Amino acid sequence: MEEIKNRVLQVLTDGNLDYRQKKHHLAYIAESTQDYPDISKEAGEALNEKIICDLFEGTAPYRPRYVLPDYAYALKNGVNYLELEPPTNFDEAINFLSILYIQVPSITGYSVYLGNIDTLLLNYVGDLSEDEIYKKMKLFWRFIDRTLPDAFVHINIGPEDNVIARVILRIERELKQVVPNLTLKYDPEITSDELLLEASKTVFEVAKPHIANHKMTAADFKGEYGVVSCYNSLPVGGGSHTLIRLNLKKITDLHSGDAESFISGTLKKYCKMTLDVIEARSKYLVESVKYYDTDFLAKEGIISLDNFSAMFGFYGLAECVNQLMKRSGKELIYGKDEEANQLAHLILEEMKKIVDAREVPYCKGNNGKAFFHAQSGIDIDIEETAGARIPIGIEPDIYSHINTVAPHHHLFNGGISDIFHFDETVKRNPAAILDIIKGAFRKGMRMFTFNLSNGEFIRITGYLVRRSDLKEFREEGSRYGSALFAANSMDNANVDNRISKRVISNEQVAGKY
Amino acid sequence: MSKLQANISGIIKSSVIDGPGNRIVIFFQECNLNCMYCHNSHTIGLCNLCGTCVDTCPTNSLKIDSENKRIIHNKNSCTRCDECIKVCPENSSPFYKQMSVEDIISEILEVKDFISGITVSGGEVMLHAPFLSLLFQEIKSHSGLKHLSILIDSNGNIEQKKWDSLLPLIDGVMLDIKAYSAKTHKQITGYSNEKILKSIEYLNDKNKLKELRFVLTPNYNNDESELREIAKIMKSVSPNVGKTLIKMRNHGIRKEFSFLREASNEEMNFAKDIFGQADIDILVI
Ligand code: SF4
Ligand code: SF4
Repeated sequence: MEEIKNRVLQVLTDGNLDYRQKKHHLAYIAESTQDYPDISKEAGEALNEKIICDLFEGTAPYRPRYVLPDYAYALKNGVNYLELEPPTNFDEAINFLSILYIQVPSITGYSVYLGNIDTLLLNYVGDLSEDEIYKKMKLFWRFIDRTLPDAFVHINIGPEDNVIARVILRIERELKQVVPNLTLKYDPEITSDELLLEASKTVFEVAKPHIANHKMTAADFKGEYGVVSCYNSLPVGGGSHTLIRLNLKKITDLHSGDAESFISGTLKKYCKMTLDVIEARSKYLVESVKYYDTDFLAKEGIISLDNFSAMFGFYGLAECVNQLMKRSGKELIYGKDEEANQLAHLILEEMKKIVDAREVPYCKGNNGKAFFHAQSGIDIDIEETAGARIPIGIEPDIYSHINTVAPHHHLFNGGISDIFHFDETVKRNPAAILDIIKGAFRKGMRMFTFNLSNGEFIRITGYLVRRSDLKEFREEGSRYGSALFAANSMDNANVDNRISKRVISNEQVAGKY
Repeated sequence: MSKLQANISGIIKSSVIDGPGNRIVIFFQECNLNCMYCHNSHTIGLCNLCGTCVDTCPTNSLKIDSENKRIIHNKNSCTRCDECIKVCPENSSPFYKQMSVEDIISEILEVKDFISGITVSGGEVMLHAPFLSLLFQEIKSHSGLKHLSILIDSNGNIEQKKWDSLLPLIDGVMLDIKAYSAKTHKQITGYSNEKILKSIEYLNDKNKLKELRFVLTPNYNNDESELREIAKIMKSVSPNVGKTLIKMRNHGIRKEFSFLREASNEEMNFAKDIFGQADIDILVI
């Protein structure tokens, strides 16, 4: 009790946190008084030692990690709980969504998915001119940034070229906000080159949108999908109860044999343990908390348990492979040497097989299985490279980079992202980016973004932070939850030196107290 | 396929600065100008196997292969110190390679999914017109490559007729104009510019001039009358031809030309204004 009192006091008196952030952290401390869902002793130890990492989801899950409301359904049917009638025009639709966004839970306390916004709003355009749409959307965008200050808040556009998608890209370039994070669903047969070009120019300014291979991703889902948070793809009208990630570096440290015995023994054992944790947490949320019986989103059909699954993530593939190579007496490196790349591929395929072979309760959203996800990292990852990425600073030339990672992108129905780096000169020739995007998708990549050296925005592991916010945070705290995360990441992972930038999450913050 | 070979000093598989889109760039060895500010002076000459570089190399990474008349380079021990290039009396290098059309095609095939086109650059590529003609025909008749655009980056110092066999195969030529007055041109490049001026006119008439560039070199081509003449030439070509004003950068140029000075902001603006007065839409880099 004394310990809890101290933790609470520390939060209450932390001048770098605002009122809302404090509330979030206090709730986390309160949750931590509960026993962890029922898992084996061994799994508990693995969690304690961060071999298996639950990303600070808390000991007693009382809301799903990621919720993707079916906003189209809500707009059509209204929301009783919020006393919202179906909107009849553009203003009403924006107002409707603005209210609903605030009510959608997630692990960070902020909604991680704001919908495929262009498709949602196109129905309400009526005879509005582009300029009128622009003015309305600009206010909407400001509202989103100021009320949902977390870079995991993610919105989607595309694949069709349309006036709203274009207006959004323009607004993104003008406002240069961290929130919302943005993904463009791209399909060469549907998306116009002009829209892709607009998107590329936007990336030069604000390091977003991310570009998703629409055809490939859509094929993994029964219904619609959304790209949320740190580039997780999940079913719309559902989401993920939890995301548990396995630290491949740490289990390689624990392993004392060759690559073959690693794959058949250690890897298998810890994958199973990770799945056990996923199962226990999902059950707790569904059976003990009864979230899906009680929340208004579920009651009104805006989400449905049938569209939910859970996520199996991992990180540190590069360190795992390099170490196994070293043990077999070979100085071969993931991202550089073919043999190492092959081993990486073998490990990923084995993991995918294990995940696909396991029935997990309450995972109907993915046919009873967990989604497989290359987790893009958080600030405490000092020694491990995000997901299946090539470590920062040793990325090979663009083609080798694509050829290394593209062959395994198809495995990740739960999402994966890679980051390519470009010199500033590419700004004068955005058509070059289009060539690379198209080439990368032709080679089977699922999702990626690119960064320019010296941009104003910094991408770190999963998301976006403004350079100036980072500096400010270190000095006096930031309005954005994610800035803390970023500051830690920058301090830990020499990301400052990295050729580019990327955003991160607010989720882990509470675990600090 | 033909046995014809060309000396290739390098291939860059992804370039965003040699024409529109992402491009593979093939650099040819040997040039027929000798510009003071050349940043790749080791691509100007051909190796005569004098052996100076072999003796200079601190890691003994070079060997003369007299039978095949070439230099063998041990990539593993080489530390990329570039000493060999600096000492070469011929403005050449021990690194360029003989390649066939087939060799180059296979390099292009490797990256074809990622590029808009190919650019050939140098050295002076037009010294290899017959080779280029074969290469371009091969590209245009290859089902996986024929969509690629082809650009030539040339100094234009070539007889008019050499262009003819290539023009139907290519999308355009990017060309430098180093100076208008023959005297200044000779100072900067060692040669006069008659053929270059003719090439500009000819390519423009044929609708194949893609870009015209001018490198501002203080004390040589930056006085007002010279700039006005350059502006006239720029104005004489189609408005569709891209025009670029480039500030001469003096990093990477040969020691003996280290006296060259980069233009100040005022000097750049002065030149820019003259092009502006002539109503020329020019990109400054
Ligand atoms: S660059 Fe390589 S080959 Fe040339 S001198 Fe240096 S070590 Fe020798
Ligand atoms: S590269 Fe230059 S220095 Fe070396 S052998 Fe050839 S001509 Fe001589």
